[in-house]
Amino acid sequence: MTFSRRQFISAGLGTTALIALAACSSSESSDGSGNPSSGGTLRVGALGQPSKIERDPHQTLSNDSDFLITSLVYDALTVPGENPNVAPRLASEWTQLEDLRKWKFTLAEGATFHDGTPVTSEDAVWSLRRLREIAGETKVPVASVEDIVSDGPSAVVITTAAPNRELPLLLRLMTFVVKKDTTDFTTPVGTGPFKLESYRDGNARLVRNENWHGGTPLLEAIEVTRFDSTTAMANAVIAQQIDLASNVGAVAGRTADGRDNLTVVRRPNDVVIPIVMRTSDGPFADPRVREALRLAVDRDAMVKQVTSGYGTVANDVLGTGDPTYDWSLKQRSRDIEKAKQLLREAGFDTGQTYTLFTKEEAAGEVDSAKLFSTQARDIGVTIDVVTQDANVFYDETWLKAPLYTANWGTNDSVIFFASKVMYSGTKWNESGFRDPEFDAAYLEALAAPDDDTYAKASRTLQEIEYARGGYLVWGMADGVDVASSKVQGLPQLGGYGRVQLEKTWLSS
Amino acid sequence: MSESTTTATSAATVVAADARRFTTFGTRVSVVLAQRVSILVLVLVLVFVAIDLLPGSAARAALGRDATEEQISAAEQSLGLDRALPVRFLIWFKGLLTGDLGTTVRGTPITEILASTFPSTLLLGGLALALTTMAALLGGALWALRPRSAGARVLSPATTMVIAVPEFVIATLLVLAFSLGTGWFPAVTITDSAGGPLDSSMLVLPVIALAIPQSGWNIRVTRAALHEAAQAPHVLAAVLDGLPHRHVLLRHILPIALPTIATSLATSVGMLLGGALVVETIFNYPGIGSVLSGSVADRDAALVASVVALTGAAITCVLLAADLLRAWSVRGRA
Repeated sequence: MTFSRRQFISAGLGTTALIALAACSSSESSDGSGNPSSGGTLRVGALGQPSKIERDPHQTLSNDSDFLITSLVYDALTVPGENPNVAPRLASEWTQLEDLRKWKFTLAEGATFHDGTPVTSEDAVWSLRRLREIAGETKVPVASVEDIVSDGPSAVVITTAAPNRELPLLLRLMTFVVKKDTTDFTTPVGTGPFKLESYRDGNARLVRNENWHGGTPLLEAIEVTRFDSTTAMANAVIAQQIDLASNVGAVAGRTADGRDNLTVVRRPNDVVIPIVMRTSDGPFADPRVREALRLAVDRDAMVKQVTSGYGTVANDVLGTGDPTYDWSLKQRSRDIEKAKQLLREAGFDTGQTYTLFTKEEAAGEVDSAKLFSTQARDIGVTIDVVTQDANVFYDETWLKAPLYTANWGTNDSVIFFASKVMYSGTKWNESGFRDPEFDAAYLEALAAPDDDTYAKASRTLQEIEYARGGYLVWGMADGVDVASSKVQGLPQLGGYGRVQLEKTWLSS
Repeated sequence: MSESTTTATSAATVVAADARRFTTFGTRVSVVLAQRVSILVLVLVLVFVAIDLLPGSAARAALGRDATEEQISAAEQSLGLDRALPVRFLIWFKGLLTGDLGTTVRGTPITEILASTFPSTLLLGGLALALTTMAALLGGALWALRPRSAGARVLSPATTMVIAVPEFVIATLLVLAFSLGTGWFPAVTITDSAGGPLDSSMLVLPVIALAIPQSGWNIRVTRAALHEAAQAPHVLAAVLDGLPHRHVLLRHILPIALPTIATSLATSVGMLLGGALVVETIFNYPGIGSVLSGSVADRDAALVASVVALTGAAITCVLLAADLLRAWSVRGRA
């Protein structure tokens, strides 16, 4: 099992590429030299509601601002990467042991807490167990806390119920390690690239950790300001009150596009807003009906209008950023005639009105539902869009209704979606999908002994999703950040990758 | 214009009638206070009922979609959300009287949240009220005393116009013109480590955005009150005596008009605090507005009611002050 080492090396290559990229873009700026320079304070805006402020790194962090601060102060065992999609952080490497249910994570050499004490496996075990107790199996997929144990002073062994190849992926940016026995996080002692200097109501000032095991960060300090709304955050970056508006959205991106002192960063595969069609029963149980709807949607128009053009067309497969994503599947496009024919064959009742439930959660979610309902009219299907309050939606509609919109932020893993929302055993089976072939491929992927077997199983999963899955994935929305042109080396990854600011620097 | 004249007249009539009904100053204060407090309690009951009627569960809102049914019911039990609505209200109300408001559905002490955000909102609202008062007195006096001046001619349509324009439109226009356009003022509020605005220039646009719509109304009321007071026989006599303009205004007209003006300004406090919630969002001002909107989304009845209780208390205090001023100014005529 040497793949972890290879993963480590290629992650290193990825980093080099990122710095090279940053260097390229900086040559356009007044700096000219293109060499990352050290120093300066980066002022970042991030979204967050005061009622949702959370400082415990093991609780649900619903505010972007909290998540940003937490991931700068603490290190998780692994973090998102591009290819492979898992990169090392506090764990420098990981191996699947002979018993494929066991994973061994080795802690980075020289990693210390901000107070100077070294990180031990005991701290990591304590943190992982606490996370498992608070957040449950969703975040640490082990049957009980006893399955997380130390293996010497600098390694942790985690035993899952069945062989689970996705474990390092699931632990990305979740497994923040704190000192053993810490339960008070008001003066946090982490191991991360930045130390917390002051904190108030979701706003914070952080200074760099000179002794960070990943190398000294370039920025001297980061100031995080919490914003209630994207509008205020966009105004702040345009008025140069902040240097980076993190995840500010497509509308702000369009506004900033024309200004030469601002850079718009597009992070692909950030959010997916699929339409979920119930497969187990109800009007969409017939795969021909689902295919008809997938042929009715005008994907280009959806991307153009729902994401203001900051997005890409997708092909009804979830996990578009996955290195094993199958680009050979034929891109579905609009075909009204074929869709009508499929509906006739399936005996679909076009006299009825169908309800598509949605909620104002992800940016553009309600718009996507409305636009789709207009497009579906062209194949003779009448869809009534009902916008629910998010609370009501998750109580009454989610996992139950025959047709609704969903949204997910982790889009670089086919297996993640398979395990969370499509495998017949998952509690979040959004489309009521119970497909023996899919389940078999899923288990095969989890237990895969090598990369090739894994990739093959992943492709089978995608073929089944494409052919008869319950998702209409019309496109992917980019994550859009707006930054002052002097900010270099910004994160390019979708989803939570946006918080990785340790490579960021300011040109003079 | 005729509408505000009517309001001023009827307000003056009410003042006179009220003053006759109560004999002593103390009785009057306590009766008014009792009335206002009972209205506030009624509003708080309604808040609890309204939040309860909204679909969705506070526990689920707090725990997110990852939560299992068992976790949700456990959280409901520990938060006391499984109890009957009247019981929940009484527990919270008892806490209000003792100063312990409990915690939010996410476990943060409510008093802590209020203590960190409400002073900022009071500062914003207070400054806007001061600006409104100044605008009302200056604008109203100019308009009433020099009705044919250029200023009065501008005020007449301008005040009507700004009453009709909501705060968020004004706030957005101010940001566009005076921040993004000219760069004169900051577009948003960035806080320092103590939680206040980093720079006092950050208060300028939010205060103006709040004060403009309220000024429109109050200038009209002031003008009407001054105009009416100027018709009183002793004022006419003073003018005929040849007393200076300023003297007539300050000594004879203003004392009659003041109660009406003060009442109008006091009722604006509610509007100011309501507008502050909108303006705070646009300027990212660290006040109670986003706490309120977040707590409604979270179905957190105790937090919503606490915010309402606090703002209600603030409004009650100002209204009471206006009542007292009115009682004091008509004391000789009761």
